Amino acid sequence: MVELVPTLLRQELARLAEDDLRLDGRGRWEGREVTLETDCLYNAEGSAKVVMGGTIVYAGVKFELRTPWPDRPAQGSLMCGAELRPVAHRKYEPGPPSPQSIELGRVVDRGIRESGCIDMESLCIVPGEKVWGVMIDIHVLSDGGNIFDACGLAAIAALRTAVVPAKRFDVGEDYTLKVNGTPIMSSFTRVGGRYIYDPSEEEELGGDERIHITLGDEGHLHSLQKGLRGVFTPAEFAEIFEVAHLRCSELRELVANQEGN
Amino acid sequence: MGGYGDVQLLRDDGLRLDGRKIDEMRPVAIEAGVLPAADGSAMVTHGLNVAVAAVYGPMEAHPRKIQRQDRAVIDVRYNMAPFSTSDRIRPGYNRRSREISKVTAEALESVVLVERYPRSKIRVEIEILAAEAGTRCVGITAAAVALADAGIPMRDLIVGVASGKVEDTVVLDLDKAEDNYGQADLPVGILPNTGEIAFLQMDGDLSPDEFNLAMEYNFKAAAEIHEIMVDALKRRYEGGEN
Repeated sequence: MVELVPTLLRQELARLAEDDLRLDGRGRWEGREVTLETDCLYNAEGSAKVVMGGTIVYAGVKFELRTPWPDRPAQGSLMCGAELRPVAHRKYEPGPPSPQSIELGRVVDRGIRESGCIDMESLCIVPGEKVWGVMIDIHVLSDGGNIFDACGLAAIAALRTAVVPAKRFDVGEDYTLKVNGTPIMSSFTRVGGRYIYDPSEEEELGGDERIHITLGDEGHLHSLQKGLRGVFTPAEFAEIFEVAHLRCSELRELVANQEGN
Repeated sequence: MGGYGDVQLLRDDGLRLDGRKIDEMRPVAIEAGVLPAADGSAMVTHGLNVAVAAVYGPMEAHPRKIQRQDRAVIDVRYNMAPFSTSDRIRPGYNRRSREISKVTAEALESVVLVERYPRSKIRVEIEILAAEAGTRCVGITAAAVALADAGIPMRDLIVGVASGKVEDTVVLDLDKAEDNYGQADLPVGILPNTGEIAFLQMDGDLSPDEFNLAMEYNFKAAAEIHEIMVDALKRRYEGGEN
């Protein structure tokens, strides 16, 4: 579908930005309310549902036994994929995975993988012969803006609840997957000339480039991505980086609270 | 039916493995209007099955070759999420989902007043998030509620239900074990007000008498599910939201 970015929307967003306002009344660095539910899908070995404003995302974890890569005989594997299926918005068309959904899946994948929260050697059963392949599939059901953060949150929350189905595969007793850390993504979009946190659908439609930052428990960077047309300055990045620390900590706490229940 | 072997599906007390009576269906819960981005939507939980349906449109039908001059076309995609089954499904269309999408679309075209929207398209997206046998029926029920939620005029709702046969006994609403090891499966889409049938498939082995009994069970279940559908749609528009 051709996206006709409404000029009026852009003008309105720019006008609001002059007074540091947003279309839905939020502060510049204020996120929408987030609800997280885990263990919500029968048949998935780990699962999570995230609702963030009008955005709804599910993630499910599945395991399979596979032979290890020849150059890493004692390591299992982790793969994270996202599907932007036509269910999520009228703008998504059926067909093979779009560049957008591939980018989304890969950015989430990098954040989780590079944080080192999964010890790949712990996924080895018989070196050179049999290892676990862990697959996180993300399903976007409703795109109401900022699906990146919702997908990142759903993926790590699902992974953290995953139970390795060893019994079903005849390789021992089931056990909880060991996950050392909770990498969290924060996303920013330029709207009306300045960056804002957690863009809504309208802000994405009338906005410009976006930046995604994934931080680990210690506040270290694990994945960065700049998407869409536009440029930014180091000073602008420094500002959103500060905010990312705060927002990531809050969402990490949300995951911890959910697990505490 | 995929089943072979000596799996006991009926207990000595005549009940089924999950404790249901032979003409008892799994619990059903329905919520309308669950997806903010869609024009209409519904989530149906049926036993451990979870199906979500979204409706977009009526909208311009393209490519133009799919346009019909006298009516709307309904474009259905039935899809199982990769994590919806015990072994992960590779994302993407397969022969099974294509066939289910086709016959589901034809069933829905039989109840929607498609002649009201010539040359347009109504998109119906059915996503199965968790599968425990009977997903095509749960998908049809979800699609019908989502179409009604989108305000698209219909002659009637359509309810997806199935009966089948295990250990030579006709039972209502097969669960996973019964589907895997049973002898027959008869999924139908019933128009609850007119008593007509818009969707019909069957595989396995049924005598004429068994078929009649299975249909009787299906109609009984359709009436029950219909009440839950209507209730979901009423709840959606009560309380002042939207």
